[in-house]
Amino acid sequence: MFALALTNGLVIGIVYALTALGVSLVVGIMNVINFAHGEFYILAGYFSYLFAHTLGMDPLAAMLIAVAGVFVLGLVVEYTLIRPTYGDDMYSLILTFILSIVLQSIYLLVFGPYPNKPPGWVKGATDIFGLFFYGNQRLAALGAGVAVIALFFAMLKLTWFGRMIRAASQDREMAELNGIDTTRLNMFGFGLGCALAAAAGVILAPVFPVTPTAGTPIALTAFVCVVLGGMGSMSGCVLGGLVLGVVENLGAAYVSTGYKHLFMFLILILVLLIRPAGLFGRREA
Amino acid sequence: MKAIAKRWWLGAAVAAFAALPWTLGVYHQHILIVSLFYVMMAASWNLLAGYTGQVSFGHAAFAGIGAYASGILAVKAGVNPWIGVAAGTLLAAVFGFLLGILCLKLGGIYLSLTTLGFSEILHIVINNEYEITRGTMGLQVPGLIAEYSKLAYFYIFLAAALVTLAVVHRLIHANIGLNFRAVQNDERAAAALGVDVVRVRVLAFTVSSALAGMAGALYGHYLLLITPQIPSLDQQFLVLSMTVIGGLGSFAGPIIGAFGLEILSEYIRAYGEYHVLAFGLVALIVARFAPRGVVGIWNGWRARRDLARAAGAAP
Repeated sequence: MFALALTNGLVIGIVYALTALGVSLVVGIMNVINFAHGEFYILAGYFSYLFAHTLGMDPLAAMLIAVAGVFVLGLVVEYTLIRPTYGDDMYSLILTFILSIVLQSIYLLVFGPYPNKPPGWVKGATDIFGLFFYGNQRLAALGAGVAVIALFFAMLKLTWFGRMIRAASQDREMAELNGIDTTRLNMFGFGLGCALAAAAGVILAPVFPVTPTAGTPIALTAFVCVVLGGMGSMSGCVLGGLVLGVVENLGAAYVSTGYKHLFMFLILILVLLIRPAGLFGRREA
Repeated sequence: MKAIAKRWWLGAAVAAFAALPWTLGVYHQHILIVSLFYVMMAASWNLLAGYTGQVSFGHAAFAGIGAYASGILAVKAGVNPWIGVAAGTLLAAVFGFLLGILCLKLGGIYLSLTTLGFSEILHIVINNEYEITRGTMGLQVPGLIAEYSKLAYFYIFLAAALVTLAVVHRLIHANIGLNFRAVQNDERAAAALGVDVVRVRVLAFTVSSALAGMAGALYGHYLLLITPQIPSLDQQFLVLSMTVIGGLGSFAGPIIGAFGLEILSEYIRAYGEYHVLAFGLVALIVARFAPRGVVGIWNGWRARRDLARAAGAAP
């Protein structure tokens, strides 16, 4: 039971981490919290369902197109809604909150209230060290999550774009003085943040089907990961995701399934009480 | 002189509004009562968002705290609903105070995150504690008055809305109100001038939450059935849209928004699920292009007209 809950926690935790990376990236670059983050996750799940199920595409191709689609939508949202709000954090909060409700009601109209599930990639289950049998789809999700996170960190550390992101997160004005076009960086950073949520969405949707309102708890979990890891710390938020995933699943196994999400809120309160800067946060933040 | 005339006009408008339900049927009386509930909700949310620049996503949740606290006290312990309303208001104030102390020294984003989390958790608790809250079935509660009458409820809600508006008005026009706006405009400058920024914010959040708790408790005893719809995010969204469309940071904005949207939503009810989408799109466009809402558009139009007149008078 313990080993199973732990494995479940790691699988979910990796996907939480992936979602939270998107939030952390956007907070780092432009100091905006996107309250519609969970809705982008859900949209990617719907897209991959639509492309793979209805149009009969290959699941992998459907997933890639879904992520690309959400990336483009992210660019559009930044350009039309977020850009005019720079410097006024409150307005971006209000705008993205309204956007999340608008997207939820569009999903409800288009896809209905039922859960939708894109096809799985693999079948069967694997024997884990003789302890229990674990679904191959979940193992594949774990692998895919780790791969995307690794790819993201490689991009951040090794490429020019990654260097620009790090520079702007550390000191925006200094980055501008060194010739970085922060307006364009914001746009691509926001798109990339949405694409990370989308990647998490397509990876987890075959395991946990998407519904129109399922985005809120997902976004909330991602926010807690970011606070737990420390605002603006990328590696902190990966650790935060894993911790949340494991705590939630152990809590569900040993304490109460109904109150699974309560643990997340308790962690948030504890972090705010004891160490508001988070695990890896900068002190002054 | 002008201020006195304004006061008379205001008194006359309230008196005319108070006489209005005598000319209306039961259905339209109901719409007025619901509108007054939203006036309380939007005005108290505006106190926080419009005047101190902090966005709470738990305003509907605080209304839910008030409604469920009062309802459960009445059903399980037989407490008089009026005492229940007071208890619900107090409980919402306590929760608001605690969350406020926890988050507000850290900055606005933390309050928004934590109140959103709070509202989700409240939902989970309501659904899980089925024996006490009756979950989505709803909790049947007694009314505020022995004999059910829409007219009596209208006056109760009118009185409560006037109390809410008076509290908001007093806070934003008293000395502390200047502090509110100073904190919103420039936090550091306000702090340098000796304004205790955190204290002002916690005060605004506590008062705003308490007013939401009172509105929710009264609303529950009016509907006679308390469901998770009261503390839902949809409700939160509606209150936010009313304030944004009416005019964030203006006294009249939430009143205009609450009546406007509630009356409109009765007319487009026939289209069912489209109305959330329609309000959402309108709110999005208003927030993006006219961030001060209807009141802002009106003031801008008047300023331009006065300017044109002045230019015409002195060629």
